[in-house]
Amino acid sequence: MIPENEFLITEENMYSGALSCRGCGWTLLARYVSSVMGPKTVYVVPACCFSIIAGPNPMNLLKGSVVHTVFAAAAATATGVRRALDRQGKTDANVVVLAGDGGTFDIGLQALSGAAARQENIVFICNNNGAYMNTGVQSSTGTPTGARTTTDPQGKKLPAKNLMGIIEAHNIPYSATASPAFLMDLKSKLEKAREASGFRFLMVDGPCPPGHKHDPDRSIELARLAVETNYFPLFETENGQFNITYTPKTQVPVSEYLKHQGRFANVMQDESNNGLQIIQQQVDQNWKHLSSKQNLN
Amino acid sequence: MLQFETTEMQKTPRADLLTRHTKKVLKGNSAAAIAAKLSKVSLVTAYPITPQTSIIEEITNMIASGEFDAESVNMESEHSVFAALIGASLAGERVFTATSGQGLFYAHEVLHAIAHMRLPVVACNVGRPSFPWNIWADQTDSISQRDTGWVQYYCESSQEVMDTIIQSYRLAEKLKLPVMVVLDAFYMSHTSENVYIPDQKMVNEFCPPREKMDDQIDLEHPKAFGGLVGPDMYDKYNRLYWESIRKVESETIQLGNEFDKTFGRKYAAVEAVNIHEKTEKILVTMASVTTTARQIVNRHPEVGLLKIRLFKPFPKKSVLSVLDNVSGDCAIINIDRNYPGDTEGALMQEMKRALHGTPYNIFGVYTGLGGRDVSSKTIEKIIESDFDKTGIDGVIWMT
Repeated sequence: MIPENEFLITEENMYSGALSCRGCGWTLLARYVSSVMGPKTVYVVPACCFSIIAGPNPMNLLKGSVVHTVFAAAAATATGVRRALDRQGKTDANVVVLAGDGGTFDIGLQALSGAAARQENIVFICNNNGAYMNTGVQSSTGTPTGARTTTDPQGKKLPAKNLMGIIEAHNIPYSATASPAFLMDLKSKLEKAREASGFRFLMVDGPCPPGHKHDPDRSIELARLAVETNYFPLFETENGQFNITYTPKTQVPVSEYLKHQGRFANVMQDESNNGLQIIQQQVDQNWKHLSSKQNLN
Repeated sequence: MLQFETTEMQKTPRADLLTRHTKKVLKGNSAAAIAAKLSKVSLVTAYPITPQTSIIEEITNMIASGEFDAESVNMESEHSVFAALIGASLAGERVFTATSGQGLFYAHEVLHAIAHMRLPVVACNVGRPSFPWNIWADQTDSISQRDTGWVQYYCESSQEVMDTIIQSYRLAEKLKLPVMVVLDAFYMSHTSENVYIPDQKMVNEFCPPREKMDDQIDLEHPKAFGGLVGPDMYDKYNRLYWESIRKVESETIQLGNEFDKTFGRKYAAVEAVNIHEKTEKILVTMASVTTTARQIVNRHPEVGLLKIRLFKPFPKKSVLSVLDNVSGDCAIINIDRNYPGDTEGALMQEMKRALHGTPYNIFGVYTGLGGRDVSSKTIEKIIESDFDKTGIDGVIWMT
């Protein structure tokens, strides 16, 4: 169960002193992203945890330009930056959105869809921690079934939105899911996203100890379990070609992932096991769906 | 004098500069589109909304035909239209867009961000109101953006729209403030009139390319923009904003004088017509109502006209200086083509603020809302009205 994790940071493009919580996935992700994208990158950040992590004005966590923008329109601001840089002949610079699930699934979806449909030459990265964590754990449409949030105190009933399906429907050149526990896979996907041109999208699983209610030192272990249980499958769509990039060797029940997280306490403590069965069913169905897509190739 | 003659006199360049202009019959919206081209705007974002749409249509057509060298992006909403301008302006481009009514309301949040990121954005707003659906002339949309920090000019003619957009880039880039140029729906946006289009060379001379600012995206010297600030920094930034916005009135006058030297047409923060020691009543107007009022004032030697061109920040000094020799008995009648959901219209509110401590009687008229025609008769009726008798707290609702 130990995947290849030799993600060598060949170029450190992040300073120390990130203002994140212990065990935060965002900060690790930003370090990997900035290492692959290089300093000639303009990051566009809507309201999300990273607005804080990146440091207060005039500080800058990243060796790259950072544009903080309004919650609903990261992809639109990135559009403006991209078009301006292109006009100035700076076509080799990367423009990368770093958004949370609220700024991707919910309030940012319209601008995201607009930019994807226009095939804007930008990389949109969503750190999906499954709730509005910066405001203190409120449900988003990225919040999964059963997860307890401050606005779904008994656990969310409905499943998360299938955002990857929505993204795929825009026929963009590259989209993928990735995990901070599968670093070679993450690296390869970041590089593919960097090299492709047109609209590129990455959704990365975001461990969040205060939001998911687990010990900070378990972040990577849980991210790994999310993949091993098929709870957060790793796949990519490259120029229309769908590909599952990691298939677990053994079948691990989803409870192994859920039981370490306080956000699923209601599900795990329910003696009828109804909630757990529903989640396992969702996971199995999703994996079946992805596998059949893979077989179509 | 006929209305036509008055307005023609207003915009005709000085004789020696006539040959450096091309006279054309243009709608207000066309004048705005051509002004963006003349100002060498390099990036335009677009989203349709009546009655602004033909501005972005004309711009994208000029870009497609190659006569206008700029990038245009069709966005998916006005919110994104303005959010994209944040990115493009921060990266150093000279940017433009146009919107109306609901579009401007929808962009409200972004207007604040643009202003307080100190971006020199210029946008044209063709005024129309909100619900119930109405698409006709009304200034409620831009009036309700009073507190966003944008400078606002209200134009009276297609010529003024064109000239003001050109001047706005100078002001915006010098003071690092965004500017909204407002014209009336249909009475201006879709009404054709004579416009003197200046030669590109003259505009280049008056409005050279945007200079590089310290605070813009520079790939070689990366920085963060718009990040969280604590109370101390927030206070400091707002104080700096205040210091800049305080300069707008005098800069507007100075730019108007400079514009006159180059183009032979003079502009200021306000314009006074027929205001003298014996003036008994002064009509205060914005945009196209001014033109109608001009000819009426001609028939009434005792009635003056004060046109407010710069509305935000409100040009208090210019207003007071116009009233310098006017007797304290004079009635100041504000014609408000906006309904801010309050007992008094926006112009009346601002004038009360500007005239605080003076003896003038300040009255207000709500008229022309939702595109209702403000005809010569309406203006006559306003002049004849006894505000003390028929007004409610000095305000008359005129239909």
